[in-house]
Amino acid sequence: MSAMFSQNPLMNGPNYSFNQAPSTAAAGNKEHGFYPYTDNGGSTLAISGSDFTIVAGDTRSTSGYNINTRYSPKVFKIGGTTSSQDDATLVLSVVGFAADGEALKERLDAIVKMYRYQHGKPMSVKACAQRLSTILYGKRFFPYYVTAILGGLDEEGNGAVYSYDPVGSYEREQCRAAGAAASLIMPFLDNQVNYKNQYIPGSGVGHALVEREKIPLGRTEVEDVVKDAFDSAVERHIEVGDGLQMFVITKSGIEEKYLPLKRD
Amino acid sequence: MNHLPQSWGRPRDDIYGAYDHSYLQSNGPNQHTQSPIVTGTSVIALKFKDGVVIAADNLASYGSLARFTDVKRLRSFADSSIVGFGGDVSDMQYLDRLLSSLDTREAYCSSGHSLNAQNLHTYLAKVFYKRRSEFSPLWNQVLVAGLDAESKPFLASADLLGTTFSAPSLATGFGAHLAQPLLRKVAPDEDAVAKLSEEEAVQAVKESMKVLFYRDARSLDKYSIAVVTKAGIRLKEDEKLENQSWAFADKIRGYGTQVN
Amino acid sequence: MTSIGTGYDLTNSVFSPDGRNFQVEYAVKAVENGGTSIGIRCKDGVVLACEKVITSKLLKAGANKRIATIDRHMGAVSSGLVPDGRHFTSRAREEAASWRKVYKSPITTADLAGRMGGYMQAYTLYSSVRPFGVTAIVAGWDSELELPVDGQVGSGPSIGSGGKAKDKKYGGPGLYMIEPSGIYWGYYGAATGKGRQTAKAEMEKLNLAEGKMSLLDGVKEAAKIIYVAHADNKDKEFELEMTWISNLEGPTKGRHQEVPKELLEDAEKLAKKALDGDDDDEEETKDENKPAEADKMEE
Repeated sequence: MSAMFSQNPLMNGPNYSFNQAPSTAAAGNKEHGFYPYTDNGGSTLAISGSDFTIVAGDTRSTSGYNINTRYSPKVFKIGGTTSSQDDATLVLSVVGFAADGEALKERLDAIVKMYRYQHGKPMSVKACAQRLSTILYGKRFFPYYVTAILGGLDEEGNGAVYSYDPVGSYEREQCRAAGAAASLIMPFLDNQVNYKNQYIPGSGVGHALVEREKIPLGRTEVEDVVKDAFDSAVERHIEVGDGLQMFVITKSGIEEKYLPLKRD
Repeated sequence: MNHLPQSWGRPRDDIYGAYDHSYLQSNGPNQHTQSPIVTGTSVIALKFKDGVVIAADNLASYGSLARFTDVKRLRSFADSSIVGFGGDVSDMQYLDRLLSSLDTREAYCSSGHSLNAQNLHTYLAKVFYKRRSEFSPLWNQVLVAGLDAESKPFLASADLLGTTFSAPSLATGFGAHLAQPLLRKVAPDEDAVAKLSEEEAVQAVKESMKVLFYRDARSLDKYSIAVVTKAGIRLKEDEKLENQSWAFADKIRGYGTQVN
Repeated sequence: MTSIGTGYDLTNSVFSPDGRNFQVEYAVKAVENGGTSIGIRCKDGVVLACEKVITSKLLKAGANKRIATIDRHMGAVSSGLVPDGRHFTSRAREEAASWRKVYKSPITTADLAGRMGGYMQAYTLYSSVRPFGVTAIVAGWDSELELPVDGQVGSGPSIGSGGKAKDKKYGGPGLYMIEPSGIYWGYYGAATGKGRQTAKAEMEKLNLAEGKMSLLDGVKEAAKIIYVAHADNKDKEFELEMTWISNLEGPTKGRHQEVPKELLEDAEKLAKKALDGDDDDEEETKDENKPAEADKMEE
C-alpha cells in the first residue's frame, strides 16, 4: 500500500497505476493473487471563491498505458431529488480507483437524498463533509481507494472546499488538487491562488521582501486558472487529458462546463 | 522509529531485508479465485448509428493450450442485449445462468417492460464490484451491447474489479492494444458514430478480428459476431475469418518456414 | 356430510372414523366458490384462462393478474383463495429456480406438478397449518429439442453421435391440476372453480384426447368456455384473462406469455357471439340480451 501514500517519484518511480503490486519479489514460490484495486488515473481540482466554488476534473480513464475511454466523469452533483440532479447543491469529485469512486458517490448521494427527505432541507456542506469522512473511515481496513474533494457553499454563502484522504481524514481548504497530476497542479495553485512565493519586485532583500497583496480571485480568473492547470498537467502527465469537466457552484445553482483537452 | 508510517510495525529492512508482503495474504480475509483457469481472449465492439456490433472468437484456452474451440462467448439477454465475455469461462457460465434467472424473474410481472442493455450493465457491474469486495472475484471483463433507455446505441464495459466505462468503441484484453486503435480510427467520437453505417461498422470489426488472429497467440479464426439494433439481435456464432493475407509474415522471424 | 358436528372437522390432520379429512373437504368448498379457471392442452401448446371476478369497480381494469409465470416455459392459474394462490405461485417459482440451480435445465411440467403436489399434501398433515384453499392448474411446454444445459458454451462433437440418441422425441405440452388434498393428475383439459362442471362439459365436446386441437383454436375455445361457464356466476362481472405457451416454432417460442391483446379481443368477440346464439335458441324468456350488455361494460 505504500504507493498509496508516497508521492515521491524517486522512491517509487512515476505514479503509474500499474506500479501498485508489491515490487519487491518475495523469496520462494509466489502465487499470483487477487489484488482488489487499480488506478484509473486522471486528476481533479477544486477552488473556492468568495461566493462560488469550482470543482473540476479531466474525463480520461486509463488502465496502465491504455485509455479506457475519453469520457468518464469524475465530478458529480450530489443529493438532488431528480435523476438529472438539477436541484443539487453539492459537488463531489473522486479520483483514484474508479469503481470505488462510483460506489462512494452512489452511497453519499443516497445518504444526502435521505437527509433531504427526512429533514425537508438540503444538507449543508459542513454536515455532508463530516458524513463523507465517516463513510470513508467506515472502510478504514478495506478503504475506498480514492481521493475525494467535496465542494459547495457554506451557510454564509462563501465557497467551501473539503479535501480527503482515502480513509477519511479531511480539512476545509481554499483549494486542492488531487489524483495523478496533483503533484504538478498543487504547487501551481499555491502560487496562483494563494500567492505563495510572490513578492513585490524591488521591495527589499531577504526578510525585507514584501509579499504581494492577497486579493481573492474572481470567478473568471479562477476558471482560467483551472483551464491553465489542466492544460499544463496534460502536457506532463500521460494519464490526464481528453476533456475537462467543470462545475461552478453559485447560489443560483450549479453550472456545468465541458472543454476539450488534448487527446494525445 | 522510522518517520514513514507505512514501515511502522514491520521488521526493519536494514536488518531483516525487504518485507515480504505476500505473507499478509494468508493472514488476510479469505481469498477464493486466485487466477482464471480456462479463459477467453478479446471481445471487441463498435457502435454505429442504429446499434452496436460486437464480436469474440470461439476459443477457450487452458493456459497456452487451445482447449475448447467451440465456445460461444457472446451471450444474448432478453432478445435485446448481448454480453461479450473475456476472461474465465466458468465464471462466464455462472453469470450467464445468473442473467437467465434475472430474465425469468423479470418475466414474473407481465408489465411488458424489459431490462435494456444499460440496466443490464449496471447490474453486472454491481455483481462484479460486490464479488471483488468479498475477495471472491468473477474473473471477467465484459462488454455489454444494446440500447439504452432512449433506444440509443449503448456500449459499455465492466470488469472483475467493478470498473466501468463506456465509449464509441471498446475492446477487452489483447484487443485493447490491437483492435481499439483501428476501431477508434473509424469512430473517434459520438459524432462519428452518428454517421457510421452498419456495413462500415461490421467491416471494421471483422477487419479487427483478423488483425487479432494474426497477432494474438490465444486466438482462433472461428468467431461469433452480433449486430444489436432496435429490430433485435442478429447473432452468428459460426463465422470464419475471410481473406487472410499472411504476406506480411514473410519477413518476420518466427512466422514462416524460416524459424531463425 | 353427516359427520359434521362430531368434532372431527375442527382440526387439520385428523381423520374422521369413516376415513375423511374434513379440513381438506372444506378447502375444496373454498375452491368451488372461486372464479373459474381452465387449461387446454393443444398439440402445439397450452392455454390457460380464467374468469377474474371483479370485486370492485375501483380496481384498474387489466391489473392484478391472476395467471402467473412460474418459469419462462411455465404458467399457473388457481381458483379459490387468492392469497393462497399467490403463495402457491411463489413456492412454484422457488421450486423451478432451485431445479435450475441443481440440474442446470428447466423443470418439466410433470416434475413441477409433482413438487407442488407434495408441497400441498404436506399442508394436510399438521395441526399447525390448514390446507391450501386453491386448486391450481399448471401448464408448461417442455422443449421438444434436446435443450442445452443452462450456460452451455459449445455444441458438442461434430462427428459421430456425440452422445445424442437419434430420432429421440423430447418434451411437448404439459397440463396438470393440483387439488387441496395434494392430489394431482395430468389432463387434456382441466377446469376448476365455480363454473368447472359447465367448463368440463364443454371441454369434453372438444375431443382433446385426439391431440388435434391447434393452439389458436384452443385460445378461441378457452374464451368461449370461460364465457359459457360464467353463466354459473352471472351476478358478478368478470374479466377474461388468458395466457399461452406455444412450441418453439410457435408464436411464443416456448415461453409463457399473455395472449396478445388483438387475439384475445377476437376470441372474446367470438365467445360473446356464440353465447348470444345460445341464448336466442334456448331461453328467450330472459330479459333482452342483458348478459351481452353487461359484458360490454368490462372492455
